[in-house]
Amino acid sequence: MATNRTGAAQRPNGAPQTKVCQFKLVLLGESAVGKSSLVLRFVKGQFHEYQESTIGAAFLTQAIRFDDTTVKFEIWDTAGQERYHSLAPMYYRGAQSAIVVYDITNQDTFGRAKNWVKELQRQASPSIVIALAGNKSDLAAKRMVEFEEAQAYADENGLLFMETSAKTAMNVNDIFLAIANKLPKSEAGAAGAAGGGRRLADGEQPRPSQCCK
Amino acid sequence: MHSDHEENYKFAACTFFAKSHPGETCGSNGLPLTPSSISILGRAQRLLSIEHPNLCTYLDIIRGKHERIIVVAEVIGKSLADLKKKLSTEEIINVARQVANGLQYLHANNITHRTLSDDNILIDLNGKVKLFNYGIFYMTYGGSEVAFPLGQPRYLSPETILNSGGPTADIWTFGVILLELCIGKLWAKLKPGPILRRILGLVHVNDPAKRIAREHNSIEEYEQLPKYLQTLIEKCLQICPSKRATITEILQDLSNVDTKEMCAVKPPRGLMGCKLQYLYHWWQLAGGDIQVELKRNGLIKNSPPILSIPVAILLDGCTIGGKTGVLYDRRIAKYSIELLQSRLSHVSAHDYYPLMHERKKQNDAVTLPKTIRERDTEYQFYRLLWFQRLLHGYPYTAPYIRAEAEIDIPPLVRGDVWAALLGVVGDIEEQYERIDKETPTPTDRQIDVDIPRCHQYCWLLCGSAGHRTLKRLLKAWLLTNPQYVYWQGLDSLTAPFMYLNFCNEARAFACLSAFVPKFLHKFFLKDNSAVIKEYLAKFWQMAAFHEPRLATHLHDINFVPELFAIPWFLTMFSHVFPLHKIVHLWDAFLVEGPSLPLFMGVGILRQLRDTLLESGFNECILLFSDLPEIDIGECVKEAIDMCRSSPRSISYRRFTNDTVKKDSMDQVEIPMEVLFVEICPRISLSDFFSLICEDKCCVVDIRSNLLYEKSCIDGSVNVPYSGVHLGRHELRALGPQPERALQQAIKMKRNVVIASAEDETAQLFSDYLVKCGVPRVCILHGGIAALQTHIPSLFITPPTGNTGK
Repeated sequence: MATNRTGAAQRPNGAPQTKVCQFKLVLLGESAVGKSSLVLRFVKGQFHEYQESTIGAAFLTQAIRFDDTTVKFEIWDTAGQERYHSLAPMYYRGAQSAIVVYDITNQDTFGRAKNWVKELQRQASPSIVIALAGNKSDLAAKRMVEFEEAQAYADENGLLFMETSAKTAMNVNDIFLAIANKLPKSEAGAAGAAGGGRRLADGEQPRPSQCCK
Repeated sequence: MHSDHEENYKFAACTFFAKSHPGETCGSNGLPLTPSSISILGRAQRLLSIEHPNLCTYLDIIRGKHERIIVVAEVIGKSLADLKKKLSTEEIINVARQVANGLQYLHANNITHRTLSDDNILIDLNGKVKLFNYGIFYMTYGGSEVAFPLGQPRYLSPETILNSGGPTADIWTFGVILLELCIGKLWAKLKPGPILRRILGLVHVNDPAKRIAREHNSIEEYEQLPKYLQTLIEKCLQICPSKRATITEILQDLSNVDTKEMCAVKPPRGLMGCKLQYLYHWWQLAGGDIQVELKRNGLIKNSPPILSIPVAILLDGCTIGGKTGVLYDRRIAKYSIELLQSRLSHVSAHDYYPLMHERKKQNDAVTLPKTIRERDTEYQFYRLLWFQRLLHGYPYTAPYIRAEAEIDIPPLVRGDVWAALLGVVGDIEEQYERIDKETPTPTDRQIDVDIPRCHQYCWLLCGSAGHRTLKRLLKAWLLTNPQYVYWQGLDSLTAPFMYLNFCNEARAFACLSAFVPKFLHKFFLKDNSAVIKEYLAKFWQMAAFHEPRLATHLHDINFVPELFAIPWFLTMFSHVFPLHKIVHLWDAFLVEGPSLPLFMGVGILRQLRDTLLESGFNECILLFSDLPEIDIGECVKEAIDMCRSSPRSISYRRFTNDTVKKDSMDQVEIPMEVLFVEICPRISLSDFFSLICEDKCCVVDIRSNLLYEKSCIDGSVNVPYSGVHLGRHELRALGPQPERALQQAIKMKRNVVIASAEDETAQLFSDYLVKCGVPRVCILHGGIAALQTHIPSLFITPPTGNTGK
């Protein structure tokens, strides 16, 4: 079932099978910076002006083709409010990648993003790929966080960095692609990453336990 | 088709367009600008709650296509403009007094009329006077949300023409109207421009009233008026607004005039005596359509779309040509309620006055789904009158209201009924008034970012009026509940109360304040993890109790409620469903009480059962992240069934607001760590005893057969735990007699109670039964030992050979 959906295992023309790598990705950041909107844009190509707040977390998946590999993201979109912080480890534990989002029109959200990066570096899997997304770049007129400042911070901490806009779709797919690019997709590499991403070649069921324990 | 039918025209509609935002469509926060029509809609809600004998009650504000606003309001008789005959002095005083009464009420409520004119002062055959559509200046934020000028030129005060003016402008207009009633229509042949010039020309005049009269060759007529009337007019027609009399002074003057009062008319009975809001509601249910009539009367015209395309669009988004700004359409469409009268013609006179203690005849419609009942004219007719009666007697009628609400709640009085169900009493306005809702707090930023995302599909909640109200409500609640903090989701939880009490903020607040302790006690603590964990564990137990197969599957794929059910319970589903579903859901919650939400959760699982059963972890979690359409009516029905058929003690939670001391017979509390591992709920001794008495349970005794043979519960089956193969999930493996007993229990929907000597075996065995697909399995709290202490009479010595082995 799982492989049918990603369309990797069965190819009618008998073309060589592509690898399917599954990666867990978590979105973190202050509330109302646009985490859910980024995911919605990436997964469904939609944008809702009045995207409701996320309570607890939401889960979505999206697969992208990448060279000869299909990278399937299992995306955990978390609640931004500080009070829900205690739930966050449940979602970033075992994640191979994270997008930490801030709002370029709000300096405080950038500070919060830095804290998330620190927490991930300390608590999450050591090989985690972290991307920093400065969202709402369509509101550049109200910018409070300079591009250079964020870029410098990202370079210092070895993060991927892009300014994105869920509203105009700018850089949204790109940031996910960049993450996919950086994730180890060799069988050994994928399997090695905290036992998360695995190749699903032979109709093997995804192991659920890794997602919620 | 006139005067004799005049009283059948109960309401009328007028329509206009709100201004559309030119160019820029987004505000500085990146969110779209609120359309003017939505701002108007939000602001106008307050008008809907105004009731005054000299003001036509507003009944509805509708948002049509292309920023069209339709205002529906009460209507009587005809307007002064349509009145052909000249009024006597006595009649003029009568009109003046009633108009002033209406104005005084408005001014006391900080509403400026600003558009008072002879065509919105209505008078009926009995001399009753009411102001029609007095709120257009108010609802359009002083005219700023519409593109046309407000008010008829000849009634505008000089300062209004110069773009200022407050309530005092109404006094000027009042004076002009009085003058007109005395000397006839002013500047009848002039166009607006010259009229405005004439009015501005009065600025240097000492006595505008006389000057106007002279201009109209009516100075003699004017000077023949009674002195007090002249004085009154002159007090109003003062150029300087601050020199004009206030409306209260005018009323004072008018009350000194000695004229005979209008004869009182007996209030109508029967249908015509019903509340106007009800009439309008029933009329709509009976097929009345405001827009159709407006189209028929040419007030809404359909012009080919090509005509509304602009001729040019500038780069900044401004348009030229196309639909050009039009003046306010002063016409109104009147609606006859003959349609409703004929629909309800068979209703007997005494049905309009139902008696509380009279046995009611059951309406056939009761068996139909709620959404259909809500659209049935006749059904709503009986229900509304009945609820009106009951609500009138609240709080003394509280039990009756609860009993009726269990059947259904008429949408029109849902706000009142909810308040009654939540026990809201006392001077709630005063209490709410006292709370500081303005001082900034650190939580404000979070509230500010959440409110523009909360149920924004709802026109009431998405306007600025709605945003401000929601913020005030949240701040007031947080201030009065210092033990709690703002958790995201509290906004959604407040929304239904605000939606139903939009014009009664104090009651929305009182409802919220009563709702939280009842349903969400301790949920908004800064550290609420224990509370939420217990709730979710209990929910999971209820799922195992009623849906064992599904629960087993979800356990197997490690699908835990923490991943999806927190927003369900933290917001009582208000973050999950749209408002029209939440109201039906909460109708049931408020009647059934705080354990229903748990079963509602199970009801949702049940509705999605087939999909869930064949899905793995990812598919399941995806399903809940983007919940498919849920049939709320069906779900509520199932949940109520489950809730009522479950012994009370199995849904026991420690974090509730029940302060009732517990008898040890009612105890089911276990340490939290134990709760988290037990798949099946505990049943209390007293619930167990009731089940035994009603023959509603199958007792499985899992002690060794030696102990069982010594003494056992009458009617129980013995399945010694030591002999059970936990790996084989088949009832057959338990032996023929237990299998038969359990099959019978499943068939008869009996509860299966596991009685044991120790907790551990009871846990494992109950878990095993759930895996076998046995529903309604619970563990006897305290086991055999406790039962022997408290109810020894249940025990017998079994006759040999009846041991179940």
